[in-house]
Amino acid sequence: MASSADMKGFYKQKKKNAGISKPSSSKSKSKSKNAATFGANIAQPPALVSHGSLDLQENRDANEEVLRQFDMNMVYGPCVGMKRIDRWNRASSLGLSPPDDVYRLLTSAKTEVCAGSLWDGRV
Amino acid sequence: MDEVFEIQKEMYKGQQYSQIYYIRLHLIRTLIYSLLPNWKPHLPVCTVLGLEEGKECIIVGTLYKHMKLKPTILSEYSKERSAAPLVSPDNFVHADDVLVLEDESGRVNLKGNVLSPSVYVTGNVVALHGKETGGGDFFVEDVLEAGLPPQLDLPNKLGEDKYVVLVSGLNVGSSSSNPLQLQLLVDHITGHLGDKKEQRTAAQIVQVVVAGDSVHIQHGLLNGQNLASKDQSKLSEPIKELDIFLTQIAAGIPIDIMPGYNDPANFALPQQPLNKCLFPGSSAYNTFRSCTNPHLFDVDTVRFLGTSGQNIDDLKKYSEANDTLEFMERTLRWRHLAPTAPNTLGCYPFTDRDPFFVESCPHVYFVGNQDKYATRILKGSEGQVVRLISIPKFSETGTAVMVNLRNLECNTLSFGIQISS
Repeated sequence: MASSADMKGFYKQKKKNAGISKPSSSKSKSKSKNAATFGANIAQPPALVSHGSLDLQENRDANEEVLRQFDMNMVYGPCVGMKRIDRWNRASSLGLSPPDDVYRLLTSAKTEVCAGSLWDGRV
Repeated sequence: MDEVFEIQKEMYKGQQYSQIYYIRLHLIRTLIYSLLPNWKPHLPVCTVLGLEEGKECIIVGTLYKHMKLKPTILSEYSKERSAAPLVSPDNFVHADDVLVLEDESGRVNLKGNVLSPSVYVTGNVVALHGKETGGGDFFVEDVLEAGLPPQLDLPNKLGEDKYVVLVSGLNVGSSSSNPLQLQLLVDHITGHLGDKKEQRTAAQIVQVVVAGDSVHIQHGLLNGQNLASKDQSKLSEPIKELDIFLTQIAAGIPIDIMPGYNDPANFALPQQPLNKCLFPGSSAYNTFRSCTNPHLFDVDTVRFLGTSGQNIDDLKKYSEANDTLEFMERTLRWRHLAPTAPNTLGCYPFTDRDPFFVESCPHVYFVGNQDKYATRILKGSEGQVVRLISIPKFSETGTAVMVNLRNLECNTLSFGIQISS
């Protein structure tokens, strides 16, 4: 309610979708395969972010999307607290044949992908 | 062969216990899937979320036991104080305990008389045959456990007898331990006691294993203040005394020492080997080996697996059985040494393995620091033969155990002292 000028930076969510809160238009592209979040239309709905950085567009390219699907896949176990490459190695040694393209994304020095899982630093 | 229990190379990266539960479920479930064709091949296997009402099927998952009397930290904050009666800390089993099965997709309550909540504990992975009821619960008709692991065959030994001495609960430094009894044990093992026949038996001892609780540190001295120098020496007296005893044994026979609940080692399982600086005298000998708890080793192709008792003691608190040997048999049939870890038993949060998963069946399975001596042979369905041994506390009973490697026979060494006045 109190969106006075000096409080603007403090409460990041505003009542109407404007300015700071995330533009939902660019989210619609990545709506297609969100099997992990049951029923949610947008991958990350505008949440009350009280600390930490807002999820900016730079993190959300196609490579990151592939890795996030790998994180969310329950066949390979929980992803909290493990680096992605460690989880891939564990899945491989347990005989689960995790996808190779994930491995290539994680080990190649060219692409800049996040080494930690989706929840790294957020949980 | 204790590498799987060592955590020196592990680095804590912020993981939670969900990882070790996942690995346990994966390992045992893969195993159970291979057993299902021999058990009930006509039934389909489904996940918990895939259950349909009335359809008979098999589900595999981890059990969770909801216990009314289990102490929780939250009861301190509940508005109604002492809602739970003051229970003895020995056993938290109650007639109203319920079992729940969980896999990656979800949980389901279990009903039926086949699965007795007093037998199973949180952390067991089992397969259940049954069907979903109208109320959304799963009515259990049959249970399948992982079963005894495969065992390497023992070659037929026609040679001479070789003995391994197992002892635990020396509790050096406590008021209940008698140094004379311990000295008698050491003298007997090193062959300084008895007539020719006794000495010949003692000469055939090839290994000694001390299974935990070897010292009793006076905790009263550790009250947060700086230790006076005389208190400092009082604190280290028991270890020095123990070192003297161990040096006498190590001079002649290979000796393994495992940490226990009261020993100066880490609390969470698997306990790491006691530091060699604690034993300046004995560690000079290469026959002295400081080992992890649990301890897995071979003596002359006979495989030994044992713990200092924490896994069985925890099972005693959260389930019921007739005696210690029955608990031990259950852990082997569940193919897991400590199913209650990490729920009620402290455990390191492994991410890449579950070290308590029993890969191959031991020939001798021992548990230390129990109340009394007991032993029996367990026979498996594929010809496995295991000698189960419950080692009593030496400080209270004066009894150690001798196992004959040739035929897996077991007998006790009892030392009694009577000083008549």
